[in-house]
Amino acid sequence: MMPLLANVYGLPSYLLVASLLFAIGFFGVLLRKNTLVIYMCLELMLLASTLALVAFSKFNGTLDGNVFVFFVLTIAAAEVAVGLAIIVALFRQRHTVQVEELNHLKH
Amino acid sequence: MHSMLSHAILILLLPLASAALIAFFLRQRGAVASYLSTGTAGAIAAISIILLQHGERFEASVEWLRFGSFTLSLGIKYDDLAALMLFIVGFVGFLIHLFSLGYMHDDSARARFFGGLSIFMFSMIGIVLANNLFMIFIFWELVGFSSWLLINHYHQKQSAADASKKAFIVNRVGDFGFLLGIVWCYWANGTVNFTELGQLGETHGLVFSTAIPLLLFCGAMGKSAQMPLQVWLPDAMEGPTPVSALIHAATMVAAGIFMLCRINVLMVADALTVIMWVGTVTALYAALCAIVQRDIKKVLAYSTLSQLGYMVAAFGLGSLTFKHEMGGAVHEMAIAAGVGAAMFHLTTHAFFKALMFLGSGSVIHGCHHEQDIFKMGGLAKKMPVTFATFTIGVLAIIGFPFLAGFFSKDAILYLAMEKNTAVFAVLALTAVLTSFYMVRLWKITFLGVSRSEDASHAHESGLVMTLPLIILAVLSIIGATGWFGLGLYPKLAGSIAELIPEAHGSAHTTIFAVSLAVMTIGAGSALFFYKTAADDTLEVKAGGLFRLLTGLKESFDKVYDYYVAKVQQRFAMLVYFLEKFVLEGAIIGGGSGLVGLVGRGIRALYTGSLHTYVYWFLLGAVVLWAFAAGLLH
Repeated sequence: MMPLLANVYGLPSYLLVASLLFAIGFFGVLLRKNTLVIYMCLELMLLASTLALVAFSKFNGTLDGNVFVFFVLTIAAAEVAVGLAIIVALFRQRHTVQVEELNHLKH
Repeated sequence: MHSMLSHAILILLLPLASAALIAFFLRQRGAVASYLSTGTAGAIAAISIILLQHGERFEASVEWLRFGSFTLSLGIKYDDLAALMLFIVGFVGFLIHLFSLGYMHDDSARARFFGGLSIFMFSMIGIVLANNLFMIFIFWELVGFSSWLLINHYHQKQSAADASKKAFIVNRVGDFGFLLGIVWCYWANGTVNFTELGQLGETHGLVFSTAIPLLLFCGAMGKSAQMPLQVWLPDAMEGPTPVSALIHAATMVAAGIFMLCRINVLMVADALTVIMWVGTVTALYAALCAIVQRDIKKVLAYSTLSQLGYMVAAFGLGSLTFKHEMGGAVHEMAIAAGVGAAMFHLTTHAFFKALMFLGSGSVIHGCHHEQDIFKMGGLAKKMPVTFATFTIGVLAIIGFPFLAGFFSKDAILYLAMEKNTAVFAVLALTAVLTSFYMVRLWKITFLGVSRSEDASHAHESGLVMTLPLIILAVLSIIGATGWFGLGLYPKLAGSIAELIPEAHGSAHTTIFAVSLAVMTIGAGSALFFYKTAADDTLEVKAGGLFRLLTGLKESFDKVYDYYVAKVQQRFAMLVYFLEKFVLEGAIIGGGSGLVGLVGRGIRALYTGSLHTYVYWFLLGAVVLWAFAAGLLH
């Protein structure tokens, strides 16, 4: 713990934040029931990974990570549009977005 | 030439057209259907006579199917043999159609009956005119079908339905051998065309084998009801009586003999010996069975079997000199004598047996469908025309001098006497028995007093039924003298007539004496022995003998019943068990069960809960990671 706290502005602290964000997103996906919230948690995981990429880019002094992030964000924007559209369509069809009620593909 | 060929094609297609018209349009109109069918039969008879008058012999064929080097052709061969057979089928067929108009007048399914007769005429003429074995086989199966259809006419009767199935299945057994023989013949000789086979025979290019003629004979054994496939013919009497006359006496059952004569070029001495003995044994066996029958039609059925045995024996007797003589020419001539005798007897038999069957039909019709001869009696006065014509038929079959059966039977007996003494003895004994059971039938049916209500109210049938009887009776009288005397037959049968063995000198006297003796012994003993009573005199006086003969009659059916019920059925059960449990249960069921089980397991993974899927996804990601990290190697 000590070295980590000592280099509070170093790369590990960025990665720590990214990991925390990723963990929050991951457990959100595992535990929440609302599709919309799960979706937001998924996005959170994605952004956590982009944060890590930005941090690597800064501390390595290269642009690779930044360029990567631009592409990820672009794709993510498109993906959000599609994903939200699906959720809206699902709600219109079924009048719910709770995952425990969306179980028609059960055996 | 061309006009005659078109006549031949017309004669083949007319009955087919008639059958099709009846089947598609006239099913509910029995009267129209019966006149159409009878008219067609009349046209067939007329055309067959025109063809005879013209005297031309021709052959033509068209290719039908080609598979690589193998071709199937349909063709017409109108030679002496076909001319004779066509005349018999056409003429006797027409008379029986005419008789049926009266006999079936009140039948509710008249249209089906006459349609069946037409399809039979088509099939039978197809056999007669076919120029190759494959074509014969096609029409062979068609006559089997029409026979099934007509035996089954009273299909609401269980016994009729059973009899029709029995006839069909027993025939299939023979046809299996027939088909094998055809294929073998094609394989060995490269052709199944009769003319080409004949040419190969002349140039000594023919492959002689004992198996080919014997396999082909299997077909004749089924259709002509020779031992051991004779069981279907007596049962086939469940059909209407005109059907028994047309199909099961005069024409279809003679198809086997006709087919043998067609393939005579393939015969070898060993095969002929087998054929001769099969015919001889059948003749004797059937004659013994006929003695204990009570049903008028059954007596005639066994008599038919016996006479068919005579014809087959005559054919088989043909070549027995071959062993002692050298060269192919003698071989040819020796068989030809058998062909002549067999076809001669076939012709006369067609006349007198059709006559007697129609006569029995007239009796049955007159007695309100009573068939037991011991319930008849005294019909001579009530049905004078039937009595007179039936008497002529009986005299013809027992070989009364100068009637049809006398000449043809003598030809066969002469052939037997020259070639094989044992066969001659058996055939002579059969002739004694034939006279015995025919006179028994005649006396019990027509003489004495009426023994039942139905018989005492019997009445003579109408002209439409008696006219065919009269014509056939005339043919039964002159049907054979014509071969020699009237010069009618050279035109009718051409070279066949010259093949008939004819005794000369002392042999002639011997044969004449023998045939007179057997007839007198058989007929005389039956006349004295049987009383016109309600019980069988033989059963009363010699019960043991009677039971022995009845047992003999039933033995084949019992053996087949035992075979079917105990052997075949158990084998079928075994195969069924194998199929049901091993094939279906273990292999197919096991396979599908395994797949189903796996599916059931995998299906359990689909819980419908998104969170479970996420856990599975996590597990998958961990496994992939572990794999990528090299932990799983």
